[in-house]
Amino acid sequence: MIVTLNPKILHFSKIHPFSRPSSYLCRTRNVSLITNCKLQKPQDGNQRSSSNRNLTKTISLSDSAPPVTEETGDGIVKGGGNGGGGGGDGRGGLGFLKILPRKVLSVLSNLPLAITEMFTIAALMALGTVIEQGETPDFYFQKYPEDNPVLGFFTWRWISTLGLDHMYSAPIFLGMLVLLAASLMACTYTTQIPLVKVARRWSFMKSDEAIKKQEFADTLPRASIQDLGMILMGDGFEVFMKGPSLYAFKGLAGRFAPIGVHIAMLLIMVGGTLSATGSFRGSVTVPQGLNFVMGDVLAPIGFFSIPTDAFNTEVHVNRFTMDYYDSGEVSQFHSDLSLRDLNGKEVLRKTISVNDPLRYGGVTVYQTDWSFSALQVTKDGEGPFNLAMAPIKINGDKKLYGTFLPVGDTNAPNVKGISMLARDLQSIVVYDLDGKFAGIRRPSSKLPIEINGMKIVIEDAIGSTGLELKTDPGVPVVYAGFGALMLTTCISYLSHSQIWALQNGTALVVGGKTNRAKNQFPDDMNRLLDQVPELIKKNTSVVSEQS
Amino acid sequence: MIFSILEHILTHISFSVVSIVLTIYFLTLLVNLDEIIGFFDSSDKGIIITFFGITGLLLTRWIYSGHFPLSNLYESLIFLSWAFSIIHMVSYFNKKQQNKLNTITAPSVIFIQGFATSGLLNKMPQSAILVPALQSQWLMMHVSMMILGYGALLCGSLLSIALLVITFRKVGPTFWKKNIKKNFLLNELFSFDVLYYINERNSILLQQNINFSFSRNYYRYQLIQQLDFWSFRIISLGFIFLTVGILSGAVWANETWGSYWNWDPKETWAFITWTIFAIYLHIKTNRNVRGINSAIVALIGFILIWICYFGVNLLGIGLHSYGSFTSN
Repeated sequence: MIVTLNPKILHFSKIHPFSRPSSYLCRTRNVSLITNCKLQKPQDGNQRSSSNRNLTKTISLSDSAPPVTEETGDGIVKGGGNGGGGGGDGRGGLGFLKILPRKVLSVLSNLPLAITEMFTIAALMALGTVIEQGETPDFYFQKYPEDNPVLGFFTWRWISTLGLDHMYSAPIFLGMLVLLAASLMACTYTTQIPLVKVARRWSFMKSDEAIKKQEFADTLPRASIQDLGMILMGDGFEVFMKGPSLYAFKGLAGRFAPIGVHIAMLLIMVGGTLSATGSFRGSVTVPQGLNFVMGDVLAPIGFFSIPTDAFNTEVHVNRFTMDYYDSGEVSQFHSDLSLRDLNGKEVLRKTISVNDPLRYGGVTVYQTDWSFSALQVTKDGEGPFNLAMAPIKINGDKKLYGTFLPVGDTNAPNVKGISMLARDLQSIVVYDLDGKFAGIRRPSSKLPIEINGMKIVIEDAIGSTGLELKTDPGVPVVYAGFGALMLTTCISYLSHSQIWALQNGTALVVGGKTNRAKNQFPDDMNRLLDQVPELIKKNTSVVSEQS
Repeated sequence: MIFSILEHILTHISFSVVSIVLTIYFLTLLVNLDEIIGFFDSSDKGIIITFFGITGLLLTRWIYSGHFPLSNLYESLIFLSWAFSIIHMVSYFNKKQQNKLNTITAPSVIFIQGFATSGLLNKMPQSAILVPALQSQWLMMHVSMMILGYGALLCGSLLSIALLVITFRKVGPTFWKKNIKKNFLLNELFSFDVLYYINERNSILLQQNINFSFSRNYYRYQLIQQLDFWSFRIISLGFIFLTVGILSGAVWANETWGSYWNWDPKETWAFITWTIFAIYLHIKTNRNVRGINSAIVALIGFILIWICYFGVNLLGIGLHSYGSFTSN
């Protein structure tokens, strides 16, 4: 017992310098030691040390790996992407990386550090949702006053020094992200790629003892290794046999995928950087029938925002319409847009709506908003007059627009007139000269309304469309990262199982281990071993007893 | 009208069945008799009935409203309990591994179902119209993946919490037996069947006159290890759903709002949750760190999911405001 415990104790002392000096970590570690000391199977402890021995060997081969890899050892995130490519990269970058101080690499690839970074980023993001973002300095002066600090210490000084009012672009946050990216790269290079090499090097085990030390081990008294090989193949294992030894594995992709996860994360970060430095953005509200030039709306965001030819394109709003539910609420907006090049030739025409943007030459046009531009009215057959609609704010965010048709002498100090209010393009509420409700008219009906002897016809309601324009060179990269991340996260769920077997006379010693589905593995193994036919021999003289 | 009656009936069926199931669990815990074993088995069938009830409820709403029934908090809660009952069914039909998962999922289903149908949200059940931004095929993918992810992650972290409870509990044979009823109240509901499990094991062992403290420790260790493995597996699964959900949400946002990431509070909290569970998975890679540390991270994750799912909605801030309590 004491012997089996020793490697564990060694391990704890090994990770100690890297572990966070948090009290609960230390405490829990003690507790777990106590609970486990009795129950830790000898095979478990030995297996661990043996696998670590393996590791150290390969690490010394690849000669750039720091000692840290030992403890982060054969874990989940330590797998490889596509082994060949990854290995090649490692070799190619070796010369360059040798110049770098190896210490930096080993510190960066340290798992506790990466976890601390992730915790910090999570905490900063949480803080960013608690503290109001993008307000004026005055707001923070009042909300976080110096004489009455929040939680006893938090004042506006913290916010202004650390830039917490724009958390997601603050140096402290971006710095943490850069650090995390560095850790990702370092971990991939120093830990994951060497592990791929280990995983790819399939090896036979030559002794019973080595096999029996595996997480799962069993001895079949009368069985042949060929039968086992066939059964494993039938279950989807890759089987290698040499003489009396057998090695089989399944789900190797599950070990490689985590490298892909890291690369995908890096891709997303690169794409995000591209987006932040190379984008143009802008929004515009255009009444139906008018036009604008893309370049006038788009404003650069970063240092590397370079305009393209598409910026000369003129956008003409042919028509803006809204769909309604039966209850009267808006269900969808549509803008019929025509794009014209410098010569006035139409190059593209599309009706866009929310969720269905227009893309042309790297510029994307989104339908985001709407507004009421004008009301076309005829008075006693005169006109039509275009009355501009003005937005009116009455408690709440719901949109309300109003306009006024003066009646009589417009130069008089007290002008009277007809007021018209509308919530949407559907129906207009009309009030007479005294401000009394006169009726509701739909622009489409062309039905005249009699007010103080005047015949008013609402000919048309002209809306204006709220468009958002954007160019974003980061999107393809980010999407590639998204795709890769989804795929590799799914593949990472696969369990990499390895099985060794050795024919020892008539007995067959089988051992195996897996890295994820540890709870299912013994069941699966037992199911497979049950299928192995028992050899019936006439003279069962020397049959090793099953332990 | 027929639809709303049907909806009512299905809601009540699923709620009452799940209450009966919970009562059976109570009985098995308190009475602890062999005759009730048959009863106990019927609880799984009860969850299956609940599953079909909720499925019917969701389908009814889908047909009735004409869009995928995930447009407000009530519907998403129903969907969450549906996700829990799916997890339960999977673990039920997977007879090979009799595990403690269903002791987590059954109470979860009743809590969620009870909360959704209770008067707290009496204004929500009316199926709301879809605002323009929600009219997209992405709604189905994004929200269903998010809720499935929440469901699996909640399950996994509950298993981890059970692990924590078991690890940090003082054990003594007499103390144990006496305190079962008290402990039941003290501990969260999720762990009671696990406790029952240990108790049962212990009583068998007592009869065999084996060194009690040793075997208790041994089975305790076994149980902890089982919980550890299962919570790891289920959290990994939930993590996949969460990843796909967040990423599909980002793609959708790029189609609708013009940017794949807006630092909207809901988005940010989903990302924080994702980060925490990423930390969990990373801690798991290190074999020398015992299950307790990762279980503590899972506990943090459990709290974060609820902040992300409810807390952000309670405040009703940001672009995801249509999922809030005060919507419309």
